[in-house]
Amino acid sequence: MAAALLVAGCGDKGQNYTVSTSSATSVSPSELPDHQAPPDRLVFRVVIKDGTVTPTNDQFEAAVGQPIIFQIDSDVADELHVHSNPEHSFPIEAKPNQMFQFTVDVPGKVDVELHELNKTVATITVR
Amino acid sequence: MNPGSVTVIAHGLGGSADLPIPLTYALIGAAWALTFTFAVVALAWKRPRFDPEKPGRELPSWVTATVDAPVTRWTLGIVGLLLTVWVGFAAFFGPQNGDNPLPGVFYVLMWVGLVAASLLLGPVWRVLSPVRTVHRMLGGKSLRNYPEALGYWPAALGLFAFVWLELASPDPGSLAAIRNWLLIYLVVTLAGAFVCGARWCARADPFEVYGIVVSRLAALRRNRDGRIAIGNPFDHLPSLPVRPGIVAVLSVLLGSTAFDSFSARPQWRSFIGETAGSAATATLINTAGLFAFACVVAGTFWLAARATGGVDREQRRALPGQMAHSLIPIVVGYVFAHYLTYLIERGQQTVYLLLGMDVNVNYFLSLHPSVLATLKVGFVVAGHIAGVIAAHDRALRLLPKAHQLTGQLAMMLAMVGYTFTGLYLLFGG
Repeated sequence: MAAALLVAGCGDKGQNYTVSTSSATSVSPSELPDHQAPPDRLVFRVVIKDGTVTPTNDQFEAAVGQPIIFQIDSDVADELHVHSNPEHSFPIEAKPNQMFQFTVDVPGKVDVELHELNKTVATITVR
Repeated sequence: MNPGSVTVIAHGLGGSADLPIPLTYALIGAAWALTFTFAVVALAWKRPRFDPEKPGRELPSWVTATVDAPVTRWTLGIVGLLLTVWVGFAAFFGPQNGDNPLPGVFYVLMWVGLVAASLLLGPVWRVLSPVRTVHRMLGGKSLRNYPEALGYWPAALGLFAFVWLELASPDPGSLAAIRNWLLIYLVVTLAGAFVCGARWCARADPFEVYGIVVSRLAALRRNRDGRIAIGNPFDHLPSLPVRPGIVAVLSVLLGSTAFDSFSARPQWRSFIGETAGSAATATLINTAGLFAFACVVAGTFWLAARATGGVDREQRRALPGQMAHSLIPIVVGYVFAHYLTYLIERGQQTVYLLLGMDVNVNYFLSLHPSVLATLKVGFVVAGHIAGVIAAHDRALRLLPKAHQLTGQLAMMLAMVGYTFTGLYLLFGG
């Protein structure tokens, strides 16, 4: 299974993915000893090309309330469904580098699916 | 891809699934189950204690009179019929998207809600069933008797059709698929009722049979004279009618719940994704998996019930049916462990959708994962312990003296196997 767990700040594992840290965070969380600091954002990269999705059925963990970003390159229009409580749905266009951000506020296992292609991209275990 | 589809996730309900239970919880549950099993076999009573003939403590006679009054029966029947019409209206003319209450009514209220209601009140589907009400309104006639040899087999088939739609069909959330399933169910059950009479409903209607099976674990029951009474559920359990297909009914229920956990595992999903080139192949593989799970439960139970010495051929043949009631607590415990959040959280959501209310769902259970995990392990272990007690007591009644200890061992091992598998699947592997 590909290294999909990409926490900004420790992204050395996933050479296939880029980590985008926003300029909005002025202080790097690693400089803060305080564990109450807001959780890092998770960035998960998905490529949809010629009807195939990479990755599929991936797994990663996130914290309740942690911002999760799906960065998607696609050559077709689709819908990204996030099966959390409540659910989120994002329209995907046929263009590279689209970003969708959401948080999950109720713990559980959350499937993220591409509706038209009928593929589960990832399951996020939110604790 | 599919115009009527809501979501493409298992259960067709969307939303998140429960977190896996922590390993320590699973281990503690397993240790309790194992210890208790052997304590029961080795140390518990040596003479049968539970007797379905033992009358329960009678409730005041007005309770029975009110429940049995034709006015009550007709009122409840018509309420059931109106609910059916309402849900049918919503199914066809309601919003054709995630705001339609039909999947919730079907997968949560009818499937899990029925278990809770039957456990608390007895076989409620009998009074609510729209088919029974229509049949009674039109005079309650029939052309012939129900063929006794069929037993509960049509219900086992119907239950399998339900879990197939939920767990193996290409798009369980599709409103069109649920509508078609329900229409076929209504046509078959109505036709059966008009041909074979109300007995068709009691033997072949999957929901009614599910309700009857679960209601044997209820404290509320009827004494032989018809009075409503309250008594020990262990006295009530052995009153489960033994008819052909009863083991199949229970195996479909237990096997499908296990398959539900199993098929959500990423390994299985990846396997399906890599092996199946099309949605049709994926459906075939899932159908085979679901069927295999039910068969494993049926096969192990059948073998375990027969694995004793000192009985003749005829008695051995009868044993699986005579032991079947001891699976009921295991099924109910596992169903609650598995679907509690569905019942409580999706149940709220469904009721709000039906009533057109815009109220926030209370996610208390999901927000307290350790409470939820404790409850889940508690349900599984309680179901297991009750199953073991029921099987032990029945073995004392059925098996010859010399084989009472050894004759139970295979059944106890089978039950420990079900419970360990259940806990392992809840833990997520």
